[in-house]
Amino acid sequence: MPEANTPVFRRAVIALSGSAIDAGIVRLALEVTRHTHAELIAVHVVELDWTQPLDADVAERSEEAQRVLDAAEGIAELMHGKLESVLVQARDVGAAIVDEAAAREADLLILGLPYRTRFGGDFAIGRAVPYALKNAPCAVWVVREPMGEESR
Amino acid sequence: MFVIVVGAGKVGYFLARELIQSGHEVAIMERDRARAAQVTEEIGSIVIPHDGCEGKYLGEAGANRADIVAAVTGDDEDNLVICQMAKHHFDVPRTIARVNNPKNESLFKHLGVDEIVSPTRMILGSIEADIPVHELLHLAVLGGGELELVEAQLREGSPAVGCTAGSLSLPDGCSIFAVIRDERALSVRSDTELREGDKLIGIGRTECEAELHRLLLGEDEATA
Repeated sequence: MPEANTPVFRRAVIALSGSAIDAGIVRLALEVTRHTHAELIAVHVVELDWTQPLDADVAERSEEAQRVLDAAEGIAELMHGKLESVLVQARDVGAAIVDEAAAREADLLILGLPYRTRFGGDFAIGRAVPYALKNAPCAVWVVREPMGEESR
Repeated sequence: MFVIVVGAGKVGYFLARELIQSGHEVAIMERDRARAAQVTEEIGSIVIPHDGCEGKYLGEAGANRADIVAAVTGDDEDNLVICQMAKHHFDVPRTIARVNNPKNESLFKHLGVDEIVSPTRMILGSIEADIPVHELLHLAVLGGGELELVEAQLREGSPAVGCTAGSLSLPDGCSIFAVIRDERALSVRSDTELREGDKLIGIGRTECEAELHRLLLGEDEATA
Protein backbone atom coordinates (compact mmCIF):
# COMPACT_ATOMS: atom_id res chain seq x y z
CA MET A 1 0.00 0.00 0.00
CA PRO A 2 1.24 3.54 -0.68
CA GLU A 3 2.16 5.62 2.32
CA ALA A 4 -0.36 8.25 3.34
CA ASN A 5 1.74 11.14 2.10
CA THR A 6 2.66 9.54 -1.25
CA PRO A 7 0.87 11.24 -4.13
CA VAL A 8 -1.37 8.91 -6.11
CA PHE A 9 -1.10 9.05 -9.86
CA ARG A 10 -3.57 7.64 -12.34
CA ARG A 11 -1.55 7.99 -15.50
CA ALA A 12 2.12 8.74 -15.95
CA VAL A 13 4.09 9.50 -19.07
CA ILE A 14 7.74 8.48 -19.05
CA ALA A 15 9.99 10.27 -21.51
CA LEU A 16 12.64 7.97 -22.90
CA SER A 17 15.69 9.58 -24.44
CA GLY A 18 17.61 6.46 -25.32
CA SER A 19 20.29 7.12 -22.70
CA ALA A 20 21.39 4.97 -19.77
CA ILE A 21 19.04 6.73 -17.38
CA ASP A 22 15.96 5.37 -19.17
CA ALA A 23 16.13 2.09 -17.22
CA GLY A 24 16.23 3.98 -13.93
CA ILE A 25 13.18 6.11 -14.61
CA VAL A 26 11.17 3.17 -15.91
CA ARG A 27 11.96 1.25 -12.70
CA LEU A 28 11.10 4.30 -10.61
CA ALA A 29 7.76 4.75 -12.39
CA LEU A 30 6.91 1.08 -11.93
CA GLU A 31 7.80 1.24 -8.24
CA VAL A 32 5.82 4.40 -7.59
CA THR A 33 2.71 3.09 -9.28
CA ARG A 34 3.03 -0.52 -8.14
CA HIS A 35 0.14 -0.32 -5.68
CA THR A 36 -2.05 2.17 -7.49
CA HIS A 37 -2.16 0.35 -10.82
CA ALA A 38 -1.61 3.60 -12.63
CA GLU A 39 -1.34 3.51 -16.40
CA LEU A 40 2.24 3.94 -17.60
CA ILE A 41 3.04 5.27 -21.05
CA ALA A 42 6.64 5.29 -22.20
CA VAL A 43 7.21 7.84 -24.98
CA HIS A 44 10.23 8.04 -27.21
CA VAL A 45 10.40 11.01 -29.56
CA VAL A 46 12.28 10.88 -32.84
CA GLU A 47 13.13 14.43 -33.78
CA LEU A 48 12.79 15.19 -37.48
CA ASP A 49 14.36 18.18 -39.13
CA TRP A 50 12.30 20.38 -41.43
CA THR A 51 13.57 18.74 -44.59
CA GLN A 52 11.26 15.81 -43.89
CA PRO A 53 7.51 15.83 -43.39
CA LEU A 54 6.28 14.78 -39.97
CA ASP A 55 4.63 11.71 -41.41
CA ALA A 56 7.86 10.48 -43.06
CA ASP A 57 8.45 6.81 -42.39
CA VAL A 58 11.48 7.26 -40.16
CA ALA A 59 10.83 6.19 -36.59
CA GLU A 60 9.19 2.88 -37.39
CA ARG A 61 12.22 1.88 -39.42
CA SER A 62 14.69 3.06 -36.83
CA GLU A 63 16.32 0.16 -34.98
CA GLU A 64 17.53 2.54 -32.31
CA ALA A 65 13.98 3.77 -31.59
CA GLN A 66 12.71 0.21 -31.37
CA ARG A 67 15.58 -0.74 -29.05
CA VAL A 68 14.69 2.10 -26.67
CA LEU A 69 11.07 0.99 -26.44
CA ASP A 70 11.90 -2.72 -26.25
CA ALA A 71 14.26 -2.06 -23.34
CA ALA A 72 11.53 -0.24 -21.40
CA GLU A 73 9.01 -3.00 -22.09
CA GLY A 74 11.57 -5.59 -20.99
CA ILE A 75 12.04 -3.88 -17.61
CA ALA A 76 8.28 -3.67 -17.13
CA GLU A 77 7.97 -7.37 -17.85
CA LEU A 78 10.71 -8.25 -15.38
CA MET A 79 8.98 -6.20 -12.70
CA HIS A 80 5.59 -7.69 -13.56
CA GLY A 81 4.27 -4.27 -14.45
CA LYS A 82 2.34 -2.96 -17.41
CA LEU A 83 3.65 -0.32 -19.75
CA GLU A 84 2.46 1.01 -23.07
CA SER A 85 5.20 2.18 -25.40
CA VAL A 86 4.69 4.96 -27.91
CA LEU A 87 6.89 6.23 -30.70
CA VAL A 88 6.36 9.86 -31.73
CA GLN A 89 7.87 11.88 -34.57
CA ALA A 90 8.13 15.57 -33.90
CA ARG A 91 10.12 18.71 -34.57
CA ASP A 92 10.90 19.29 -30.92
CA VAL A 93 11.26 16.67 -28.19
CA GLY A 94 10.13 18.84 -25.28
CA ALA A 95 6.98 20.04 -26.99
CA ALA A 96 6.13 16.53 -28.20
CA ILE A 97 6.44 15.01 -24.71
CA VAL A 98 4.36 17.73 -23.12
CA ASP A 99 1.74 17.43 -25.88
CA GLU A 100 1.58 13.67 -25.34
CA ALA A 101 1.18 14.10 -21.58
CA ALA A 102 -1.54 16.69 -22.11
CA ALA A 103 -3.36 14.66 -24.77
CA ARG A 104 -3.42 11.61 -22.51
CA GLU A 105 -4.39 13.67 -19.49
CA ALA A 106 -1.44 12.30 -17.57
CA ASP A 107 -1.04 13.52 -14.01
CA LEU A 108 2.69 12.81 -13.93
CA LEU A 109 5.49 13.30 -16.42
CA ILE A 110 8.86 11.75 -15.66
CA LEU A 111 12.00 12.77 -17.50
CA GLY A 112 15.52 11.58 -17.08
CA LEU A 113 18.47 13.92 -17.16
CA PRO A 114 21.69 12.21 -18.16
CA TYR A 115 24.70 13.58 -16.35
CA ARG A 116 26.86 15.19 -18.97
CA THR A 117 29.40 17.85 -18.31
CA ARG A 118 30.42 20.40 -20.85
CA PHE A 119 33.68 22.26 -20.72
CA GLY A 120 34.68 20.57 -17.50
CA GLY A 121 31.66 21.16 -15.32
CA ASP A 122 28.86 23.12 -16.94
CA PHE A 123 25.82 20.89 -16.56
CA ALA A 124 24.03 20.29 -19.87
CA ILE A 125 20.34 20.41 -19.11
CA GLY A 126 19.24 20.56 -22.75
CA ARG A 127 15.96 21.99 -23.97
CA ALA A 128 13.37 19.31 -23.24
CA VAL A 129 13.56 19.43 -19.44
CA PRO A 130 13.20 23.22 -19.11
CA TYR A 131 10.37 23.11 -21.65
CA ALA A 132 8.54 20.40 -19.72
CA LEU A 133 9.04 22.17 -16.40
CA LYS A 134 7.64 25.33 -17.87
CA ASN A 135 4.78 23.98 -19.95
CA ALA A 136 3.56 20.59 -18.74
CA PRO A 137 0.08 20.79 -17.23
CA CYS A 138 0.78 17.90 -14.85
CA ALA A 139 3.37 17.19 -12.15
CA VAL A 140 6.88 16.83 -13.54
CA TRP A 141 9.63 14.70 -12.03
CA VAL A 142 13.12 15.14 -13.35
CA VAL A 143 15.48 12.34 -12.36
CA ARG A 144 19.10 13.27 -12.69
CA GLU A 145 21.71 10.61 -13.23
CA PRO A 146 24.30 10.36 -10.45
CA MET A 147 27.51 12.26 -11.04
CA GLY A 148 30.33 10.28 -12.53
CA GLU A 149 33.17 9.31 -10.24
CA GLU A 150 35.51 11.78 -11.91
CA SER A 151 33.13 14.65 -11.18
CA ARG A 152 32.91 14.13 -7.43
CA MET B 1 0.34 22.47 -47.62
CA PHE B 2 3.80 23.29 -46.24
CA VAL B 3 4.51 27.01 -46.11
CA ILE B 4 7.76 28.68 -45.08
CA VAL B 5 7.20 32.20 -43.82
CA VAL B 6 10.37 34.26 -43.74
CA GLY B 7 10.20 37.16 -41.31
CA ALA B 8 8.42 36.99 -37.98
CA GLY B 9 7.38 40.59 -37.70
CA LYS B 10 3.72 41.48 -37.33
CA VAL B 11 2.85 40.32 -40.86
CA GLY B 12 4.77 37.05 -40.60
CA TYR B 13 3.48 36.30 -37.14
CA PHE B 14 -0.19 36.74 -37.99
CA LEU B 15 0.21 35.06 -41.37
CA ALA B 16 1.74 31.99 -39.71
CA ARG B 17 -0.94 31.92 -37.05
CA GLU B 18 -3.74 32.06 -39.61
CA LEU B 19 -2.12 29.35 -41.71
CA ILE B 20 -1.74 27.06 -38.70
CA GLN B 21 -5.36 27.61 -37.77
CA SER B 22 -6.31 26.63 -41.32
CA GLY B 23 -4.48 23.34 -40.86
CA HIS B 24 -1.32 24.04 -42.85
CA GLU B 25 2.18 23.03 -41.85
CA VAL B 26 4.21 26.17 -41.23
CA ALA B 27 7.84 26.97 -40.52
CA ILE B 28 8.86 30.52 -39.67
CA MET B 29 12.35 31.89 -40.19
CA GLU B 30 13.49 34.86 -38.15
CA ARG B 31 17.08 36.02 -37.87
CA ASP B 32 16.54 38.16 -34.78
CA ARG B 33 17.02 35.61 -32.00
CA ALA B 34 15.12 37.60 -29.39
CA ARG B 35 12.12 37.93 -31.69
CA ALA B 36 12.40 34.25 -32.69
CA ALA B 37 12.32 33.24 -29.02
CA GLN B 38 9.31 35.47 -28.39
CA VAL B 39 7.37 34.00 -31.31
CA THR B 40 8.33 30.46 -30.28
CA GLU B 41 6.92 31.20 -26.86
CA GLU B 42 3.64 32.39 -28.36
CA ILE B 43 3.15 30.11 -31.33
CA GLY B 44 5.19 26.96 -30.60
CA SER B 45 8.38 25.34 -31.74
CA ILE B 46 8.07 26.12 -35.44
CA VAL B 47 10.50 29.00 -35.52
CA ILE B 48 13.93 28.58 -37.07
CA PRO B 49 16.14 31.31 -35.63
CA HIS B 50 18.20 31.91 -38.75
CA ASP B 51 18.42 34.23 -41.72
CA GLY B 52 16.21 33.10 -44.60
CA CYS B 53 18.51 34.91 -47.03
CA GLU B 54 21.10 32.21 -46.55
CA GLY B 55 20.59 29.15 -48.72
CA LYS B 56 21.91 26.80 -46.08
CA TYR B 57 19.28 27.86 -43.57
CA LEU B 58 16.50 28.03 -46.12
CA GLY B 59 17.40 24.42 -46.92
CA GLU B 60 17.33 23.47 -43.25
CA ALA B 61 13.87 25.00 -43.03
CA GLY B 62 12.68 22.44 -45.59
CA ALA B 63 12.60 24.55 -48.75
CA ASN B 64 13.19 21.34 -50.73
CA ARG B 65 9.63 20.24 -49.95
CA ALA B 66 7.87 23.59 -49.41
CA ASP B 67 4.78 24.33 -51.45
CA ILE B 68 5.03 28.05 -50.81
CA VAL B 69 7.72 30.41 -49.57
CA ALA B 70 6.36 33.75 -48.39
CA ALA B 71 9.02 36.41 -47.84
CA VAL B 72 7.44 39.07 -45.66
CA THR B 73 10.37 40.83 -44.04
CA GLY B 74 10.45 44.61 -43.95
CA ASP B 75 13.29 44.63 -46.44
CA ASP B 76 12.55 44.42 -50.17
CA GLU B 77 16.06 43.31 -51.07
CA ASP B 78 15.89 40.41 -48.60
CA ASN B 79 12.46 39.38 -49.84
CA LEU B 80 13.70 39.33 -53.41
CA VAL B 81 16.76 37.23 -52.55
CA ILE B 82 14.66 34.78 -50.52
CA CYS B 83 12.12 34.29 -53.31
CA GLN B 84 14.75 33.92 -56.00
CA MET B 85 16.68 31.37 -53.98
CA ALA B 86 13.49 29.45 -53.15
CA LYS B 87 12.42 29.48 -56.79
CA HIS B 88 15.65 28.74 -58.57
CA HIS B 89 17.65 26.76 -56.05
CA PHE B 90 14.95 24.76 -54.30
CA ASP B 91 12.29 24.68 -57.04
CA VAL B 92 9.57 25.94 -54.74
CA PRO B 93 6.38 25.98 -56.83
CA ARG B 94 5.07 29.30 -55.51
CA THR B 95 6.86 32.31 -54.08
CA ILE B 96 5.16 35.32 -52.57
CA ALA B 97 6.94 38.52 -51.64
CA ARG B 98 5.97 41.55 -49.66
CA VAL B 99 7.07 44.65 -51.54
CA ASN B 100 7.30 47.75 -49.44
CA ASN B 101 8.40 50.18 -52.13
CA PRO B 102 5.91 50.09 -55.04
CA LYS B 103 8.72 51.07 -57.40
CA ASN B 104 10.21 47.60 -56.86
CA GLU B 105 7.10 45.75 -58.03
CA SER B 106 8.11 45.43 -61.66
CA LEU B 107 11.61 44.30 -60.69
CA PHE B 108 10.20 41.52 -58.52
CA LYS B 109 7.95 40.37 -61.34
CA HIS B 110 10.76 40.59 -63.85
CA LEU B 111 12.99 38.46 -61.64
CA GLY B 112 10.47 35.66 -61.36
CA VAL B 113 8.65 36.18 -58.07
CA ASP B 114 5.25 34.54 -58.58
CA GLU B 115 3.17 36.90 -56.51
CA ILE B 116 3.85 40.27 -54.99
CA VAL B 117 1.88 41.99 -52.29
CA SER B 118 2.39 45.68 -51.81
CA PRO B 119 0.75 47.09 -48.69
CA THR B 120 1.80 50.57 -49.79
CA ARG B 121 0.04 50.16 -53.11
CA MET B 122 -3.07 48.78 -51.42
CA ILE B 123 -3.33 51.67 -49.00
CA LEU B 124 -2.66 54.13 -51.78
CA GLY B 125 -5.43 52.57 -53.85
CA SER B 126 -7.78 52.76 -50.92
CA ILE B 127 -7.01 56.42 -50.34
CA GLU B 128 -7.36 57.26 -54.01
CA ALA B 129 -10.69 55.49 -54.19
CA ASP B 130 -12.09 57.63 -51.38
CA ILE B 131 -10.81 60.99 -52.50
CA PRO B 132 -12.34 62.55 -55.61
CA VAL B 133 -9.18 63.69 -57.33
CA HIS B 134 -8.46 64.46 -60.93
CA GLU B 135 -6.37 61.32 -61.28
CA LEU B 136 -6.31 57.93 -62.85
CA LEU B 137 -7.05 55.38 -60.17
CA HIS B 138 -4.97 52.21 -60.27
CA LEU B 139 -7.32 49.30 -59.87
CA ALA B 140 -4.95 46.42 -60.53
CA VAL B 141 -1.62 45.49 -61.99
CA LEU B 142 -1.79 42.83 -64.68
CA GLY B 143 0.46 40.92 -67.04
CA GLY B 144 3.46 40.72 -64.77
CA GLY B 145 3.37 44.43 -63.96
CA GLU B 146 3.38 45.66 -67.55
CA LEU B 147 -0.32 46.45 -67.73
CA GLU B 148 -2.55 48.44 -65.44
CA LEU B 149 -6.27 48.45 -64.98
CA VAL B 150 -7.29 52.06 -64.40
CA GLU B 151 -10.35 54.15 -63.72
CA ALA B 152 -10.83 57.77 -64.80
CA GLN B 153 -13.79 59.87 -63.73
CA LEU B 154 -14.66 62.57 -66.23
CA ARG B 155 -15.39 65.94 -64.72
CA GLU B 156 -16.37 69.34 -66.01
CA GLY B 157 -13.61 70.44 -68.32
CA SER B 158 -12.21 66.98 -68.95
CA PRO B 159 -11.14 66.89 -72.63
CA ALA B 160 -12.94 63.61 -73.27
CA VAL B 161 -16.38 64.95 -72.25
CA GLY B 162 -18.60 65.17 -75.33
CA CYS B 163 -16.31 62.99 -77.44
CA THR B 164 -17.24 59.58 -78.73
CA ALA B 165 -15.05 56.71 -77.54
CA GLY B 166 -14.02 55.99 -81.13
CA SER B 167 -12.77 59.52 -81.66
CA LEU B 168 -10.18 59.32 -78.87
CA SER B 169 -6.67 58.67 -80.13
CA LEU B 170 -5.67 56.31 -77.37
CA PRO B 171 -2.02 55.33 -77.09
CA ASP B 172 -1.07 52.05 -78.70
CA GLY B 173 -1.88 49.10 -76.44
CA CYS B 174 -4.51 50.99 -74.41
CA SER B 175 -8.24 50.54 -74.53
CA ILE B 176 -11.34 51.64 -72.69
CA PHE B 177 -13.82 48.85 -72.35
CA ALA B 178 -16.44 49.96 -69.86
CA VAL B 179 -18.23 53.06 -68.65
CA ILE B 180 -19.88 53.26 -65.28
CA ARG B 181 -22.79 55.66 -65.57
CA ASP B 182 -25.60 56.05 -63.03
CA GLU B 183 -24.26 53.04 -61.09
CA ARG B 184 -24.52 50.84 -64.18
CA ALA B 185 -21.71 49.33 -66.19
CA LEU B 186 -22.01 49.85 -69.96
CA SER B 187 -19.78 48.33 -72.57
CA VAL B 188 -18.04 50.90 -74.72
CA ARG B 189 -18.68 51.10 -78.46
CA SER B 190 -17.02 53.48 -80.84
CA ASP B 191 -20.16 55.67 -80.89
CA THR B 192 -20.54 55.81 -77.11
CA GLU B 193 -20.59 59.46 -76.15
CA LEU B 194 -18.65 60.22 -73.01
CA ARG B 195 -20.31 62.42 -70.43
CA GLU B 196 -19.36 64.37 -67.36
CA GLY B 197 -19.50 62.04 -64.34
CA ASP B 198 -18.73 58.91 -66.37
CA LYS B 199 -16.20 56.55 -64.88
CA LEU B 200 -14.13 55.03 -67.64
CA ILE B 201 -12.49 51.67 -67.02
CA GLY B 202 -9.49 51.02 -69.19
CA ILE B 203 -6.43 48.93 -69.53
CA GLY B 204 -3.07 50.07 -70.78
CA ARG B 205 0.66 49.81 -70.62
CA THR B 206 2.15 51.37 -67.51
CA GLU B 207 4.27 53.83 -69.50
CA CYS B 208 1.16 55.20 -71.28
CA GLU B 209 -0.39 56.44 -68.06
CA ALA B 210 0.57 60.07 -68.55
CA GLU B 211 -0.74 60.14 -72.13
CA LEU B 212 -3.99 58.48 -71.08
CA HIS B 213 -4.36 61.01 -68.32
CA ARG B 214 -3.85 63.91 -70.76
CA LEU B 215 -6.39 62.57 -73.24
CA LEU B 216 -9.14 61.79 -70.75
CA LEU B 217 -8.65 64.20 -67.88
CA GLY B 218 -6.34 66.89 -69.14
CA GLU B 219 -2.74 67.70 -68.28
CA ASP B 220 -1.57 65.89 -65.17
CA GLU B 221 -0.59 68.59 -62.70
CA ALA B 222 1.94 66.28 -61.11
CA THR B 223 3.78 65.70 -64.35
CA ALA B 224 3.05 68.97 -66.19
